[in-house]
Amino acid sequence: MIIAIVLIFLLSNDPSRTIYYFFIGPFTNRYYLGNLLNSAIPLVFSGLGIAVAFSSSAFNLGGEGQVYAGALVTTAVCLALPNANGLAGGIAAIIAGTAVGGILAGISGYFKMKWNADLLISSFLISAAAVLIVNFFITGPMDDPASSLLSTPKIADQYRLLRIFKPSKLDISILFALLAAVAVYSFMYHTRRGYEMRMCGLNPEFARYGGVNTKTYVVLPMVLSGALHGLGGGLVVTGTHHMALKEFTFGVGWNGIAVALIAKNHPLGVIPAALFFAYLEAGAKAAMLHSDVTFEIASIIQSVIFYLVTAQAIFSFVRNKGRENA
Amino acid sequence: MSFLDMREICKYYPESDVIANDHVNLSVEKNEIHAIIGENGAGKTTLMNILYGLERADSGKIFLDDREIMIKSPRDAVHLGIGMVHQHFKLIRPFTVAENVTLGIEQRKLGLLVDKRDAVELTRKVIDDFGFNLDPKARIDDLTVGQMQQVEIVKILYRKADILILDEPTSVLAEQQVRKLFETLESLTRTGKTVIIISHKLDEVMSISDRVTVMRKGRHTAVRVTSEVDEKELSRLMVGKGVTFRFERPAVTPGETVLAPHDVSALEKRSHRPLLDGVSLAVRAGEIVGVTGVAGNGLGELEEVVTGLRKVDSGRIEHRGRDVTNASSYFLREEGMAYVPADRLRRGASLASTVLENIIISNRRSFVSRGFFRLKKMDKFGRDLLRHYSIDADLDAPMGTLSGGSIQKIILSRELSAQSDFIMFSDPTWGLDVAAAEYIYTKILECRRNRAAILLISNDIDEVLGIADTLMIMHRGRVVGVFDNDGTLTKESIGEYILGLRNDFKGDAGNDGQATIWRSDGNSRGADDNAGNSDDHRDRSDFSPE
Repeated sequence: MIIAIVLIFLLSNDPSRTIYYFFIGPFTNRYYLGNLLNSAIPLVFSGLGIAVAFSSSAFNLGGEGQVYAGALVTTAVCLALPNANGLAGGIAAIIAGTAVGGILAGISGYFKMKWNADLLISSFLISAAAVLIVNFFITGPMDDPASSLLSTPKIADQYRLLRIFKPSKLDISILFALLAAVAVYSFMYHTRRGYEMRMCGLNPEFARYGGVNTKTYVVLPMVLSGALHGLGGGLVVTGTHHMALKEFTFGVGWNGIAVALIAKNHPLGVIPAALFFAYLEAGAKAAMLHSDVTFEIASIIQSVIFYLVTAQAIFSFVRNKGRENA
Repeated sequence: MSFLDMREICKYYPESDVIANDHVNLSVEKNEIHAIIGENGAGKTTLMNILYGLERADSGKIFLDDREIMIKSPRDAVHLGIGMVHQHFKLIRPFTVAENVTLGIEQRKLGLLVDKRDAVELTRKVIDDFGFNLDPKARIDDLTVGQMQQVEIVKILYRKADILILDEPTSVLAEQQVRKLFETLESLTRTGKTVIIISHKLDEVMSISDRVTVMRKGRHTAVRVTSEVDEKELSRLMVGKGVTFRFERPAVTPGETVLAPHDVSALEKRSHRPLLDGVSLAVRAGEIVGVTGVAGNGLGELEEVVTGLRKVDSGRIEHRGRDVTNASSYFLREEGMAYVPADRLRRGASLASTVLENIIISNRRSFVSRGFFRLKKMDKFGRDLLRHYSIDADLDAPMGTLSGGSIQKIILSRELSAQSDFIMFSDPTWGLDVAAAEYIYTKILECRRNRAAILLISNDIDEVLGIADTLMIMHRGRVVGVFDNDGTLTKESIGEYILGLRNDFKGDAGNDGQATIWRSDGNSRGADDNAGNSDDHRDRSDFSPE
């Protein structure tokens, strides 16, 4: 924190104003606050996705592609059914997006089970390819000729989620995010499969010894992780943008990893972690708009704070590990 | 003042609320072999971890050569000439033996590149000098527990420390290797080195040490010149009461055969060297079959094959007449198997998980109703289990914060709670103190009384001799002897088989890999040492305890 303030003093001509907007700015009006909360939603989903994967020692680096593909498929289903019932069609669209995310990550899990392919690499590569394919659809076959944006047409009104904090973009999907965190938590800590999955992650030898089918738990956490990413992508479309724009989910996948790290892979910890991350982002934006710092400087300050917090999280994680091994 | 002086060392673990060291003093003279003995949880390992810089003392001072020293990390300790062989191995598993041994002090080419060939050569030299049987190029992952321990010792010898700390170094070594190790330690003291050895084994302490410090419940209770005390006095100082090493084995007539591997072979993956070579045995209800041998001769593989963790390449395994060859460990557990593994910290427990999560691994399904764990039921089960086995642990504490003895007690309680008909014990008392070991023997005998079929695989001859009804000896993956443990067997005669010095057991058909099939066809008879014949296996009503 102090380092961040020092940085602001060094880099800004009007430090007090910058500090004010950076740290207090997001809370000054409904619009900023609502958007802060809204931008936390996809982070909760990708953070949960990563938490599920990491706590099972499945490493999903393909969050980017999974969110993006989930968003596209949700949009596509909505566009294909312009006159369907809002609830039924919306659910179908979201499920389709979720499934695509799950499949993308599940492929990596299957490769790992079948040929012991490295999850980090396969999930990353598959995701990278998925991003390009989605770009092709958004700028090619699904591009909206009436719009100057590189985007698909807007989805029909009945699919758009209720805005609950006008004038901001915050919609009811924040409730889904909270529900998802609770659901993931219950699954991991209150069900047999969740327990087996965590044991496989912490100590596969122990799990095997206890009669757990460890092969299942190579694929399952990846599928769940991808599905959560896809779900997050779908809700961004129906909640916030109402269409798929080129690279509009950019960074969510990677930031999800950061969120999960801060949360120490605990599903309920993902919520404050995502809010914190979104708060930093909102602060940086507010500071940019209201004082003299540029985008780059705001980003630098944001990342310094972020590094310090994550380093601490990682440090205590490593220390705990060290103690366990002692 | 002594060569090494630890004064008023205190260490408190807030997580588990344990005072591990309570104003402990230790003084070690130069060139002596100083033993530290005490029960599990007495604080011996903590004290040595502090000396080696793995833990920081809350208070207290350390003097070396009359100078106060600060040891903040193992790096400092190594710098000061202090090296440690840990009870729980600290090896990097995907690395080779040579890489582990030379890690951190590698010979470098051009100041940057690690010279692998040099590392292998230097490691090989140490291995040869001290008579170990290791391949410097082997991966740690492929080694057995016994071999890993050897690597640890080679590692410390390679580092040429002045003060060597050995935490339970002999527990997995064979008799002959122990003797060799002791010779090594003695020759080391002659060349000016100082050795601190942690041990539970009184006879070893008596034979190797010059002086001995006794610890109990975090305090030092006595320092003695070894030649002036006897085992009885030491054990009294250790546990506060005399310890008996005899086990009363009430006569039990064995019932039907519960588990029977027939002619089982397992090959090493790459070299196709047989790890198990035509092994047959039969464990009957109410009987303890003890299998012994030196680590690396197929004991670990037998353990894995029988418990479904390793596939057999040929042969058949039957459970109550049903074919369970290559069945999964889940299936075997459903069939009624319980298993207390040798590798407690990696296989038997998940150290990063809580005690409760460790307790429920084998019966996790019984807590599920309508899709969710009944947490209250689970908690109650855990609490009852801990109380029943008088284990002092918190259900929410990470398993890794407990002492080795407590971890083994939790594993034992978990495995015995299931009322299984077949129980596999592998090195159940390794590294435990006398009282904890005795407790475990009591439990094993209780299982025997409850007519469970028990397979006890152990590197400790005393253990097998003390408790097993039938004794089986393995050498190079083959059964080289099966004896009725009728009290006439001696450690020496078994030792000859274990070390492969004798191969005259008639049940073994020799070098053609043919199996020692006994009981299944009734034609197997022991060698001269075997007082009985095959009929004795069926009728043991005349069996009398020692």
